[in-house]
Amino acid sequence: MKVLVELIVSFLSTVGFGLVTNVPRRSLLPAGITGSLAWVAYYLVLQVDHGLILSNFTAAIVIGILGNISAVIFRVPVNIIYVPSLVSLVPGGILYLGMRSFTLGNEWRTGQYMFNALTIAIALAVGFVVAEVIFNRIKPLLLKVVSRRKQPANK
Amino acid sequence: MNESISEDDLITVCGQVGKILLTSGAETSRVEGTVEYIGRAAHYDITCHATITALFVGVNNQTKTHLVKVRLGDFNLEKVDEINTMSRRFVEGKIDFAELKKTINQIDKKVIDFTWPEKVFGAALVSVAPMLLFKATWADLGLAFFVGIFGYLAAALSSPRIKTPYVAAGLGGFTVGLLATLLQSMGIATSAGNIIVSALMPLVPGVAITNSFREIIDRNTISGVVRAVDALIIAGSIGAGVVIGAAVSSILFHLGGGL
Repeated sequence: MKVLVELIVSFLSTVGFGLVTNVPRRSLLPAGITGSLAWVAYYLVLQVDHGLILSNFTAAIVIGILGNISAVIFRVPVNIIYVPSLVSLVPGGILYLGMRSFTLGNEWRTGQYMFNALTIAIALAVGFVVAEVIFNRIKPLLLKVVSRRKQPANK
Repeated sequence: MNESISEDDLITVCGQVGKILLTSGAETSRVEGTVEYIGRAAHYDITCHATITALFVGVNNQTKTHLVKVRLGDFNLEKVDEINTMSRRFVEGKIDFAELKKTINQIDKKVIDFTWPEKVFGAALVSVAPMLLFKATWADLGLAFFVGIFGYLAAALSSPRIKTPYVAAGLGGFTVGLLATLLQSMGIATSAGNIIVSALMPLVPGVAITNSFREIIDRNTISGVVRAVDALIIAGSIGAGVVIGAAVSSILFHLGGGL
């Protein structure tokens, strides 16, 4: 039940950020699905492991693989799927909290928040690299499937 | 079909393509790739070097280099997609160079955007952060939906009017801080902190900082660092804005209560 709520809210969040960053209309739905599945993956890993690294890393791998697949199917640049899907995972809120503590002169908390933001950003970035390595393995297979499905439609 | 393309023309168009891509939020490696791809399709050996602040395009074995200055811009991913489609069609030979040039010019001038109500609705949806589900109360999340609209509007409406950088982000933070603290002191909201974090989601540069680390891992160190520092300062101005907004709102509330 909780997972379902998380799924719906993260889907809406991703589509919303897609509207703000002006993605092409045809990529709103795939981006929303990618974003919500990545968030659910993040949520499920978080139930088992309470650290920041593993959960964000898993979510980035999900976004990386699904994003690349939908980029091939819908013929859009990958970044267009990545940017909206990332919005709920990304350490924006923590970055803000860190800079607020900085403004208020609270050094210990500033350090802690900044460290967390750095950890999340690096975990996500490394997750993308790993996902791209995995995707390059499955790409030939995917291209074969896509071209086979498209050919009857062209004729 | 490609015989009549002059070198100068090609370099100019490539510079324009690179500039649109960079200001709309594409990664630098993608910009370099697209420009060199177009060059190869036009039978020129083009080299492109892109950083987030400047773009160089030149033909190998020639002395001419075209330099384009770029300013950091907001995300406009639809432009990235249109340029991508155009360059792909050019490389496949479906359109010729003159048509490519014409379309690129059109894309550069055209304002491709969702309508304002759609964007505001989008920002409101982002303002309900999944991060805070089951942590904040549902009422607070509902309020964040509306506070987020005002924060986004304040930042988006002021950014074309105020030339000083980072002020627009600060104004967004100020609005959010002011409204959230006011709601809490009036007893409507339970936690101003939760509303603020949630409602700031559309403004905060989280995606930018993640992209900057992707650039750094991709060995585009300069662009990555520029993006990261920019994100940090945006976050800082939002943070300062929220602090000031909260202070102003509590002063207002005390004055109002004292009267």
